[in-house]
Amino acid sequence: MSEYIVEMRRITKRFPGIVANDDVSIGIRRGEVYALLGENGAGKSTLMSMLFGMYEPDAGEILIDGEKVVFHSSNDAAARNIGMVHQHFKLVDNYTIAENIVLGIEPMTRKFGIFPCVDIKKANEEIAELSKRYGLEVNPLDRIEDVPVSVRQRVEILKMLYRKAEIMIFDEPTAVLTPQEIDFLLGIIDGLRRDGKTIILITHKMEEIKRIADRCAILRHGRLIDVRNVADTSIQEMANMMVGRQVNMSQAKDEPVFRDEVLKVEHMTVKNEHHFDVVSDVSFSVRGGEIFAIAGVSGNGQTEIADAIAGLIKIAEGRIVLSGREITALPVRERAEAGISYIPEDRQGTGVVMDFTLRDNLALREYYKEPFSGKGILHFEAFEKYADELISKYDIRSAEESKTIMRSMSGGNQQKAIVGREIEEHAKLIIFVQPTRGLDIGAIENIHRHILAERERGAAILLISLELDEIMALADTIGVIYSGQLLKIAPASSLTSHDVGRYMMGVKEA
Amino acid sequence: MTKVFTDGLSFALPLLIMAVGAIYSEKSGVTNLAIEGFQGFGAFIGALIAVLLMPVMGNGSQAVIYIAMAGAALGGGVYACLHALLCINFKANQVISGVVINILSVALTAFFTSSANTAISGTSSNKLILGVSTRFSVPGLSDIPYAGGLFKNMYPFEIIIIALVLFFSYLMYKTRFGMMLRACGENPQAVDAAGGDVEKTRWIAVIISGALSGIGGICFAYSLLANFSPSIYLGYGYLAIAAMIFGNWNIGTTAIVCLIFGFAKSGGYQLCIAMGLPSNYSDLFLMLPYVLTMLLLIFFSKKNHPPKAAGEAWDKGKR
Amino acid sequence: MKTKRHILSSRLDGKYASVWVSVLAVVLTLITSGIILLLMGKNPLTAFYSFLQGCGLAPKANYGGGSGMLSDLSDFLNYLAPMLLASLAFIVGFKAGLFNIGIAGQMLLSGFAATVIVGYNRSLPAGLAKPLVAVIGIAVGGAAGALVGFLKYRFNIHEVVSTIMINYIISYLTGFFINNHFVDMLTRTSRICSPESRLTLTGVQIAGVNCKVPFGIVIALIMAFAVQFIFERTSFGFELKAVGRNIKCAKYIGIGVGKSLVLSMTFSGVLAGLAGVTYYLGYTNTIIPKTLVGMGYDSISVALLGNASPVGSIFAAFIVSIFQQGANYMSSIAGVAKEIASLITGILLLYASCGTYMKMKAHSVILRDASREEQRKEEET
Repeated sequence: MSEYIVEMRRITKRFPGIVANDDVSIGIRRGEVYALLGENGAGKSTLMSMLFGMYEPDAGEILIDGEKVVFHSSNDAAARNIGMVHQHFKLVDNYTIAENIVLGIEPMTRKFGIFPCVDIKKANEEIAELSKRYGLEVNPLDRIEDVPVSVRQRVEILKMLYRKAEIMIFDEPTAVLTPQEIDFLLGIIDGLRRDGKTIILITHKMEEIKRIADRCAILRHGRLIDVRNVADTSIQEMANMMVGRQVNMSQAKDEPVFRDEVLKVEHMTVKNEHHFDVVSDVSFSVRGGEIFAIAGVSGNGQTEIADAIAGLIKIAEGRIVLSGREITALPVRERAEAGISYIPEDRQGTGVVMDFTLRDNLALREYYKEPFSGKGILHFEAFEKYADELISKYDIRSAEESKTIMRSMSGGNQQKAIVGREIEEHAKLIIFVQPTRGLDIGAIENIHRHILAERERGAAILLISLELDEIMALADTIGVIYSGQLLKIAPASSLTSHDVGRYMMGVKEA
Repeated sequence: MTKVFTDGLSFALPLLIMAVGAIYSEKSGVTNLAIEGFQGFGAFIGALIAVLLMPVMGNGSQAVIYIAMAGAALGGGVYACLHALLCINFKANQVISGVVINILSVALTAFFTSSANTAISGTSSNKLILGVSTRFSVPGLSDIPYAGGLFKNMYPFEIIIIALVLFFSYLMYKTRFGMMLRACGENPQAVDAAGGDVEKTRWIAVIISGALSGIGGICFAYSLLANFSPSIYLGYGYLAIAAMIFGNWNIGTTAIVCLIFGFAKSGGYQLCIAMGLPSNYSDLFLMLPYVLTMLLLIFFSKKNHPPKAAGEAWDKGKR
Repeated sequence: MKTKRHILSSRLDGKYASVWVSVLAVVLTLITSGIILLLMGKNPLTAFYSFLQGCGLAPKANYGGGSGMLSDLSDFLNYLAPMLLASLAFIVGFKAGLFNIGIAGQMLLSGFAATVIVGYNRSLPAGLAKPLVAVIGIAVGGAAGALVGFLKYRFNIHEVVSTIMINYIISYLTGFFINNHFVDMLTRTSRICSPESRLTLTGVQIAGVNCKVPFGIVIALIMAFAVQFIFERTSFGFELKAVGRNIKCAKYIGIGVGKSLVLSMTFSGVLAGLAGVTYYLGYTNTIIPKTLVGMGYDSISVALLGNASPVGSIFAAFIVSIFQQGANYMSSIAGVAKEIASLITGILLLYASCGTYMKMKAHSVILRDASREEQRKEEET
């Protein structure tokens, strides 16, 4: 028997324009937790997608139990007992938990002895049994759309177990969990290890690796930098290898200077199309020079708060006041002109027009004003000038500068363009929703610097993020949302991340 | 009154089978505005086969009708491959593709009908004349007052359609294939991760959609016109789509909507006769299904939940 | 290492990609329809040439008394005008993300209204009647378009379904009135309009032959450039394009999306209305009841072939009109059913709709060649 249960030898994978993996070789031992550490875009997910059969490598070979394999699809990988929990869960929202788990390998029965039918009753029983055995409690009859993120993740793990996976790949599993949920997950992973499963953990968080992993491979720009025993490596060392330079782990942040109240939200309630409260009776205020962060597990109403303040959705009850002026009934554009900038969560779907050029996207807030247009006629010279200015000021990189089509730019530069466009409005209130999700460290630093600079300038900043680390690093005041309600509002200095995590799961008072 | 039921049902069922076709395609994630084209092309192939077979098998032969239905299913299914190719493989805009398929279908069938007529009979008519379908009444049931009309003077194709709808409901809601298909329309990534083949499933769904629409088309050709001509394009494919929308992409509810359409149409027509209006006014009553559709759309459109992934091409490389 | 495949791909991936895609679509269409003609035992070259002859773009073997190539050409322009206007109508909706499939119905309704109000009013002088016809076309078409936009915005009704339903409603409704009140017993079509109201002058002697002078073509060309200007240079056009490309972003940026949808459909309807009056009170001068003209759908082929560019569609309308207008003559010369015109237009539409795929394919060929080249260089060093 081979030393390694999984071996990937000299793997190279190219995508148009980039080399995602360049001659990477790793070996994973049976029953260990093996971490892949690297920034976004370092090639971790691509490497594992090849192990899971979603891509085929351009060069190199994969060995399972010492035997060479070629995977054409995830089916082939599943046949070798490999399972994967993707960063974006691959679940059918309107199916039940049981239906999701058994999809494709449903237990069958025959109606009237002829017609093969999916035996959903048997599936439910099997899932209930499986979930009890591994301590991953779920109700097989719940629909995915009705359960929170942490339960969805359990469903994904159960899916692997149901398919008898021995090698389990977790892609950034903790990105959207509370500290308590992370503890729980790491406990589950530990249990799986004791059960003899081999775990591969893709992550960019050093703390987790330290807590759970046996060994750790570090990737940077598609290349393997090193493989270390976790016990002998410090977090600082890992961070330096991951980024390729000395990293300052803590962001320098000046003491806040609070000014007048800019945003006041009073008893705001937002209903969804089914007339349920998604935001209920929320009140808070943000002062100039203050970063007010809303922490919460995904889907608890935080995006709706942002949309409601920006005017994209109507509120059912309550008042929104901006610098003493009530804006509750104003349309989107008048609110923007009254002094609200908004960096939305879905940057490609909402923040930009992907088929427009960078120039036109940068002018989206200005195109109808002087000097960009007069009497309804556009002046493109003004567009050009403005675009060039923002491109250099915000370090937006693209192939053809202002003429580049947005779609062809990298995610980080698209986000820099949006952030630049919104900050340039010099608004009284700037709303940031998930401003750094999926970006690499360079881009994250860039955007964090701009957020702090705006705070310095005296803008009120509403930061909504699912990344607790980001909130702890930037916030002056933290509001924790759970199920549409702000459970706790307190100065950031008075809260630990575990405190926040507890509120995020709905615990009212500690 | 019985006439309302009889005619209503013979209109509702072909509409329903087309709507089931549309549901298959959309549930798998392919927006389908091409039903009109599928039904027309399918009906053309069916009619062409019937016209070629009639001299061989005898004018009165009812077997011709069944063969024509099979031919229509085949024709619709084959023609649907074009929509599948454009939407699934070429990743074209699915709405445009649907419109293209419909326009091309009108052009193809008009041209080949007149060419076929020239070749077969030497006259360049734009019609393929079909035989007359026999009708039958279900003994016993047809004697029930009023509702007995449902079982009176039925076309044999009505029974076939009912059987097909039952079978395709079973396939959609009870089988492994059906579960995969519906998942494809909601989250193709989930299907891919579970080892399903999204593109293949969608291809099959679109072909089913074409075959069922073809059957609907040839049934209309027999019941409404007794011939095939470009006047088969009456927009009923779009009515089927509207029925699917009101039925919220569910076969059961869609069936009820189709029945309402059918009875409204035949009821309006019977009302016209009962009121003794001159035949000129029939134009106004022919308008009814369309007006009804508009009204229903106005009242029910907002609450609909189409399959989430419908309209988006599936790109395996993209995550 | 420049293969033919690579050259073609670089054309389809370059700056003028859209133009090359359209050229390729036309070439493929001619090849495909040529094969169909060959299979039917006809000579495709004769057929294609007779299309041109039928449109006055090539000389016929002989002409009847008082007519010549110029008469055919003026007929062709008379047909081209509504075709171009109809395709502009489609483009305006399309840019804002709306598929106006109801152009045929909007044309019919405005043509009907103008016919009834002005065409049958014998007392109006030409100087008043002609502008009035245009105004009615604009008003009625605009209202019909606005309705569709409103239904889409307010009730979330897909415009493809609503326009088709409205098409049939208009068709039966106008058919009912024509058959009951305005029918010419002999032709079974509506009675012809007064010459004063007609937007095309007939029987004009130019260079010794009978010609038609269509005012429609002037309107159409002006509108083409106007539409181009609106989408390229005005903030209104910029907003419509933003709505069409990403409606969520348009909302987020504060564009009144509902207003934009209604306005773009109104604008589209206005152009369809103009197409309607130039068709029914210019080209045909009468209305066949309960018939939606094929031009409503051909205009979609034109718009897609012209890459949804107003100026591009001038060329595209020209090409499609050749097949439609030349079909009768072609049929008489080559002995092919005249329905082939619609078939050719349909095939053209099919290829034009594959444009995105062609570009995508070309782009991936270019990228693959480039990365192969790179790899080769790497291996060399």
